[in-house]
Amino acid sequence: MALANGPFQFAADSESEDDNFNPAPADLSDEENDDESGQRATDKGAQRASSPAAQKDGNNEDEDEERPPSKSPLKRPREEDEEDDENGDEEEVEEDGDGGNGDDEEDEEEEEEEDEEDEDVQHRHRRKRRKDHRAAFFDIEAEVEDEDEAEEDEKEGEEIEDFIDNAHPDDIADSGHLEDDRRHRELDRRRELEASMDAEKQAEILRARYGKRAPARGYGEMTVVPKRLLLPSVDDPGIWAVRCKEGKEREVVFSIMRRMEERLNSRGDAPITAAFERAGPNSVMKGYIYVEARRQNDVMIALDGILNVYPRTKMMLVEIKDMPDLLRVTKTPNLEPGAWVRLKKPAKHAGDLAQVLDVTENGLEARVRFIPRLDYGVRDDALSSLTPDGKRKRPGMPGPRPPQRLFSEVEARKRHPRHIQGNPQTNTWTYMGEDFENGFQVKDIKIQHLEVKDVNPTLEEVTKFASGSEDGTENLDLKALAASLKDNNVTYVPGDVIEVFEGEQRGVVGRVTNVQGDIVTLKVTEGDLAGQTIEVPNKGLRKRFRTGDHVKVIGGSRFRDEVGMIVKIVEDRVTLVTDQTNTEITVFSKDLREASDIGGQGSLGQYSLLDLVQLDPTTVGCIVKVDRESMVVLDQNGETRQVLPSQIANKLPKRRTAVAADRNGSEIRLDDVVREYGGQQRQGKIIHIHRSFVFLHSNATTENAGVFVTRAGNVTTIAAKGGRINNANTGPDLSTMNPALKRNPAGNNNMPPPKSFGPDRAINQTVSIRRGGYKGLMGIVKDTTDSHARVELHGRNKIITVPKADLIFRDKVTGKPIDIYSRSGRGGFGAPARGGFGGPGEWSGGSRTPMGAGGGERTPAWGSSKSIARTPAWGRAETSGSRTPAWGDGSRTVNPYDGNRTAYGGATAYGGSRTPAWSSSAKTPAHDGFGHGSKTPAYGAGGSDPWGSKTPAYGVSAPTPGASGADSWGYTPGPSGGSHAFDAPTPGAGLGAPTPAALNAPTPGAYSAPTPAAISAPTPGAWQGGWGADAAPTPAVGAPTPAASGGYYGAPTPAAYGGAPETPAASAEIRYAEDD
Amino acid sequence: MSENFVAPGQQRYLRACMVCSIVMTYARFRDEGCPNCEEFLHLQGSPDQIDSCTSQVFEGLITLVDPAKSWVAKWQRLDGYVRGVYATKVSGQLPDDVRTTLEEEYRITYIPRDGSATEAD
Repeated sequence: MALANGPFQFAADSESEDDNFNPAPADLSDEENDDESGQRATDKGAQRASSPAAQKDGNNEDEDEERPPSKSPLKRPREEDEEDDENGDEEEVEEDGDGGNGDDEEDEEEEEEEDEEDEDVQHRHRRKRRKDHRAAFFDIEAEVEDEDEAEEDEKEGEEIEDFIDNAHPDDIADSGHLEDDRRHRELDRRRELEASMDAEKQAEILRARYGKRAPARGYGEMTVVPKRLLLPSVDDPGIWAVRCKEGKEREVVFSIMRRMEERLNSRGDAPITAAFERAGPNSVMKGYIYVEARRQNDVMIALDGILNVYPRTKMMLVEIKDMPDLLRVTKTPNLEPGAWVRLKKPAKHAGDLAQVLDVTENGLEARVRFIPRLDYGVRDDALSSLTPDGKRKRPGMPGPRPPQRLFSEVEARKRHPRHIQGNPQTNTWTYMGEDFENGFQVKDIKIQHLEVKDVNPTLEEVTKFASGSEDGTENLDLKALAASLKDNNVTYVPGDVIEVFEGEQRGVVGRVTNVQGDIVTLKVTEGDLAGQTIEVPNKGLRKRFRTGDHVKVIGGSRFRDEVGMIVKIVEDRVTLVTDQTNTEITVFSKDLREASDIGGQGSLGQYSLLDLVQLDPTTVGCIVKVDRESMVVLDQNGETRQVLPSQIANKLPKRRTAVAADRNGSEIRLDDVVREYGGQQRQGKIIHIHRSFVFLHSNATTENAGVFVTRAGNVTTIAAKGGRINNANTGPDLSTMNPALKRNPAGNNNMPPPKSFGPDRAINQTVSIRRGGYKGLMGIVKDTTDSHARVELHGRNKIITVPKADLIFRDKVTGKPIDIYSRSGRGGFGAPARGGFGGPGEWSGGSRTPMGAGGGERTPAWGSSKSIARTPAWGRAETSGSRTPAWGDGSRTVNPYDGNRTAYGGATAYGGSRTPAWSSSAKTPAHDGFGHGSKTPAYGAGGSDPWGSKTPAYGVSAPTPGASGADSWGYTPGPSGGSHAFDAPTPGAGLGAPTPAALNAPTPGAYSAPTPAAISAPTPGAWQGGWGADAAPTPAVGAPTPAASGGYYGAPTPAAYGGAPETPAASAEIRYAEDD
Repeated sequence: MSENFVAPGQQRYLRACMVCSIVMTYARFRDEGCPNCEEFLHLQGSPDQIDSCTSQVFEGLITLVDPAKSWVAKWQRLDGYVRGVYATKVSGQLPDDVRTTLEEEYRITYIPRDGSATEAD
């Protein structure tokens, strides 16, 4: 239909309807007339009267059919232009009507006028001129209008309004003439009045006056007539349900439309009034269309020959009371941002969960985000390829769709660097025409392509979205989730306490006694209905809990299986504090049930809360949370991580005997209460000791189940289990750290009781207690600390803790008091004594060694009581120096434990024979403290010429362990630890070991060593310098340039090189002999 | 001629007026406007207005042959409208400004066709 002539076509149609097929309006008019003239019709008349709306419908309908174009403002201008035509038409129409209406022409016109005025002020112009041919009073008014058109138009409406309101339509014709004059005057007055008001006020008044009525046709009735007055009656046409082919309902409806229009045009007879279908995607009314008609036969006629509909099969008349239900419309819930939906349309994403970000104003399109399914072009080639039969593949969904993965910029750039653009800051990208934000695809999708109902997102799906947030925090919107899950049916079991929150019984609380389908029977426990049993539908129920109830989460939520106590209830959201972690979680009441067990499982397989587990060879951790399938572990570095049981190497059994030292040196064991030193000063009970780490448990915090980890050296003891003395408050015991006090205790002992390594000798000794409540009792020491002993009493089956000072050690057999330390002390003592630094038991710590060294002069004195303990220094002081090396070497060399001494002895031996003054300084360990290798040669150099010559000899001999065994020098073999500083720079130290092996055998040996040493590059500079002072050609230098090395050096070096080992060796030997 | 018939192939272009719920193709809305509501919706020739005031989401088609006598029309408040195909439910919301214009200038009480009015009853 062309744009321009559309309206006229319309008008023509309407008229043709009137002309051709519309006997009904004529009938209607007749009936109305009957009513008015008192002849109430029996049948149809009554029905019309019963429905005033219907009566009015009739009128409107007439009008509609007469002049439908008036509805459209767009048509109006044209109408005015061709007014004459219009008028002509209308006259025709009216004449048509006259045939039926007879006397009531005026009456009808009046009503028409009324409606017209109701319609719109704008119409007036046209109407006014048209009325020129009609009733007299219109003419008069028209004249008035003509005077002042603009204002008049508006006022006139009002005039007529009054006029009609006051007068009964029937009287209008007469009264109009009678009151003519009065009205004119009144009108004049009013005009004057109104002229004085400004235009705005007038507009205001006019709006107030006309605003409330005068809706366009059809709409006014909608507002006036409530639905319940529109309920069908027996006089309305019946509705038949007719089977049709499922899925073809819409087509059928359109076919009926076509059929009807064709029939109307030809015969003007409409057998049916309407037909409709309600076959939505989820409708139960599929496979039927509904036809509204007067008679069943009309339906048959109307549907005859239409495809896909089967009027000849069972056709059902819909009962009147069911008719409104056929047209019931339920509102689709509005999509809210945050809600969950499923995608239907991009076929690739069909069924995927998406989250609504935004909804357009008209609610027809939604911006959603979902996880993209991208292959980043990997399958592009496959797609473009042709199928074997030469046809192009359909661009539909060939092959499996890519898995859901968040968008990756890197991947996208690989193959389509040109198709991606975006902003890395905001993490928004456009790739292949799609938008991506934070890895999610964002797309506007029409709501018919979204599944809004029955979304039921699973937790896994939702978590993907939640974990997608940048900071990793979960931003689950419970409300949105609730909306999505609302359709889920909650199952109630007898015994549940439930509350009705919807419907008539709202507020009733009771206990479920029976559940049958969707109907729950409950026995009311509270309120007026208490004791009664009522049945309510499942839908309006929710479980009811009270604050303080102990409940368990049973599904639906990620908190499943948590058990806790309810602390807050808001509507159907319940907040509870879990037993395990003391954290607050919020879940729906439907996901809860009263719990009889406490604490949940708390264990997963063999692992349970607070267990110590090995994560990898270097990492251990303490389990601080146990979930259904995973657990959270706090590792030794204080970090928590979530692990699966399979990721745990093994479980470390709790070692009761584990012991560590706190920062004060006190021992700490499991279950001791300690406090962090510094930091947060957290205090806790030791639950695990692993190497230097202690895992502590505190009730003061809920983080990580109250577990934290720290270093053992970073805690101080607060309370030790089992009454072990704690010295946390007294600070370190200075007396044990002061060597002077140790050496000369206040007591009569001039020696501290030497302490042995290993277990305390007191253990397993028989003792008697000499003080306190247990005085006099005897027992056996089972365990000791520094100061206390745990004594198992002979007399009672009891272990008590007694200060060691209160014990008398007794011989097991004789019962005589004994001194356990002295008894075993001396003998065992000898060995350490000889070392000089072995030290008494109390000095067990390595840190004490320097102290011993500091008191170096004491060592020999101490050792003096035993001849075998004699130190070389001492030996040198007492006897001839020549003797010292002789024995000193023997003893030292094999003595494995004291490298210090060896070097020392070496020095002694070496120097002893010559110059006591020099050797004395060299021999002391103190010398070691500051001595350096470089110094020694310097020494040698500084000494005198003959000595200088000796120094290299010494240096040479030092590194040759193999030789030293046979050598009369008996010099220190490899392990010359103490003279390390000394030896290190010497060439021998570095290379002695390998060299002799190679060269020792043929040579006298001592000399062969230095040669390779000299060759070797690594010889430290110190060495070189030292030699430099002595002789210009250093060995280091000399090595590559044998010729350069003068004097006695020249000889050995080339020898080594020359492959004539004997000769230089011999010479060396000789030289040595000379030196000596 | 059957102007209100829409061939199955064209049915994907159907839209429903959010005010009167008449169902027509987009092209027809564009060419002719809404036969019932053109006065205030001005759909003719303005695709934007068609987008905002008509909806492609609707369900339940009604062929209204005789709007005056049909109870279905009365119940659906379609009496007074032209013959044609209507929808029982039209999803979507009329833009606020259009709605305001409707109610203030034309004094029409807008009854949403998306089912929300029914629930209020």
